[in-house]
Amino acid sequence: MRPSIALALLGACVVAALVVAHPLSLAILAAALLVLLLQTSWRRARLFLLGIAVSSFGLFLIFPLTAQTGSHPLWNGPILPVIGSIDVTREELAAGAVQTLRLATVALAFALWALKLDHDRLVRETRLARRSVLTVALATRLIPTLERDAAGFVEALRGRGVEVEGLRGRSRLLAPLVASSLERALTLAESMEARGYGRPARARPARSPFSWHERTALAFSLLLVVSSLIWL
Amino acid sequence: MAVTGYPRPALAPGESISARIGCIERLSFSYPGSEAEALVDVSLELERGEVALVLGRSGSGKSTLLRSLAGLVPHFHGGRFSGSVSVAGLDTRRTAPAALAGTVATLFQDPEDQIVFDRVASEVSFGPENLGLQPGEVARRVASSLTAVGAEHLFSRSTRDLSGGELQRVCLASALALEPQLLLLDEPTSQLDPEGAAAFLELVGELARERGMAVVLSEQRPALPLEICDRVLFLERGRLLLDAPRAQAIEWLEENAPAFVEPPKAAAKQDADSGGVICELEGIGYAYRPGTPVLENVSLELRSGEIVALAGPNGSGKTTLAKLACGLLEAQQGRALCHGRSGYLSQDPGRYVVCERAEDEVALGIEGDLPRARRWLAELGLERRERRHPRDLSSGERERLGLAAVLATEPDLLVLDEPTRGVDPERKRELGEMLRAGSEGRATLLVSHDLGFTRSVADRIVSLAENGVLVDA
Repeated sequence: MRPSIALALLGACVVAALVVAHPLSLAILAAALLVLLLQTSWRRARLFLLGIAVSSFGLFLIFPLTAQTGSHPLWNGPILPVIGSIDVTREELAAGAVQTLRLATVALAFALWALKLDHDRLVRETRLARRSVLTVALATRLIPTLERDAAGFVEALRGRGVEVEGLRGRSRLLAPLVASSLERALTLAESMEARGYGRPARARPARSPFSWHERTALAFSLLLVVSSLIWL
Repeated sequence: MAVTGYPRPALAPGESISARIGCIERLSFSYPGSEAEALVDVSLELERGEVALVLGRSGSGKSTLLRSLAGLVPHFHGGRFSGSVSVAGLDTRRTAPAALAGTVATLFQDPEDQIVFDRVASEVSFGPENLGLQPGEVARRVASSLTAVGAEHLFSRSTRDLSGGELQRVCLASALALEPQLLLLDEPTSQLDPEGAAAFLELVGELARERGMAVVLSEQRPALPLEICDRVLFLERGRLLLDAPRAQAIEWLEENAPAFVEPPKAAAKQDADSGGVICELEGIGYAYRPGTPVLENVSLELRSGEIVALAGPNGSGKTTLAKLACGLLEAQQGRALCHGRSGYLSQDPGRYVVCERAEDEVALGIEGDLPRARRWLAELGLERRERRHPRDLSSGERERLGLAAVLATEPDLLVLDEPTRGVDPERKRELGEMLRAGSEGRATLLVSHDLGFTRSVADRIVSLAENGVLVDA
């Protein structure tokens, strides 16, 4: 399947996740994306899965404490300045679960974009907003690069007897990681310009007709968006 | 030092002026925010089919000279620019680097930072596609440039899985796919083993002659490039001190910058049994992925007072063995023992930029002992850089900062992974002398492709073969 069709499918999943309010529909969508993600290599997927799990769990914990809805209290907490009353209701828990599923679905779609899509082909085939697609593809590549950089910093510190432990130790690496990314981005931009990036006349690979399963996937994407808007 | 100019040969009768592909006239340039000029009143001409080698100490302006020929200076970097640079008749001040791309191609220092795509084929086709060539022509150029650099087998490989040497070849293929008239190579063999570097430079020489392309090449390991180049340029503090054919240049270098031509003197060998054993590796095995071992049954003993150099081709497992020796990796087979504290210098000096100031960076490994950190910075010639941000240091200075950060911990086992990458020959000589002077009481394992340097410093050299077997070299 050409990556633009796969992107349309993932885009439809994201739209559905943002529109649909029924937890079961969201759960089915998230489960389908999770199954697809688990088909990639575990080594590459684990970082994304960890990020999704932590952010989703965090949202599930925070949402009921900050929301102010519902009439079936499960726990009454103190009243804090600015935030107001810290209590948890059954309705807030249900809404938190929906928001959590929503976040997880969107994040799973992003993980699939990062790990399963052929970005090279997508960038080369794109006729509209190519610069934006290239920027997003390069930003996506940044994730494994950051992972490698972080491991390199930790190794260099351990090589002089400094162990990186705990949240404080790791947070110390944040600024150098960002600065390294910016430095690398500059070098990359220089190299791209030296290779003619930005010239007006750019060659495009010949376009082949859609296959039947690509047409089916495109139709399914459309159906998913329309049905989520109408029925779910 | 007197400026030495050698007359360029006059054009032969009937020879066209178009043999000259590049021309720099009275070029001076300084980067934004910098008072010092990176290039000062530089003038030179480049001819088709010639290989010009640019030499000079760290920070002498070699990379800036190459960037000026690609139009990246001043277009990409900004700064103050005077004089003129033209390539194939195009004035680089009026022509953007992207527009020069079909005429000039550049290979930058670090191949990893130049990669745009995930697959080799896409990476190599990026340049020709930007030129607006037809798909058939793009495919032809991709195939021919990969074949030219001996990397056709990498066509469908992922760029993430390539070794440093393979990446360097792919980046050269990407540059060649532009079919340039002027090829600029900034330390292109810094990550290659001696055999790979020789093959790479030989290929560059052949391509220059076959395609009539001018090549400008900067290098910090000048022995091999001096064999293939036609002409040598020597820069010092941005000034062009020498522009001469190879034979005359070698004479000039012998007199004025001997470290660039003389092979380093061999070290006085230590008695291998003189000190106690600091590190023992016995029957070591290691694999990053199950079923593909990097090392198998490797044994090595490092004694106090000796410097052991570890050589071997790209991908033979040298860095893995070095990390196992100092405990950064745990052996999956065999036994690794280190009696005392170990220190490891990473091959990437960009890893020593965690703190805001150079002195804090060094003090990090010695519990914040700033006076000791300053002493080590002074020892490495960085006494005036103590309060500078590590990122504001030049690449050579960053290399020395990393070394100071590791040496300050006063390890019993010192492991240095490619410590001479990007370091000029004179600094290498100083580094060698410092390692020898401080070798007493510690064992040193030196991983390096730089044979001249290892011969000058090491008491013995061991080599890892591609199958991970260790042999005395």
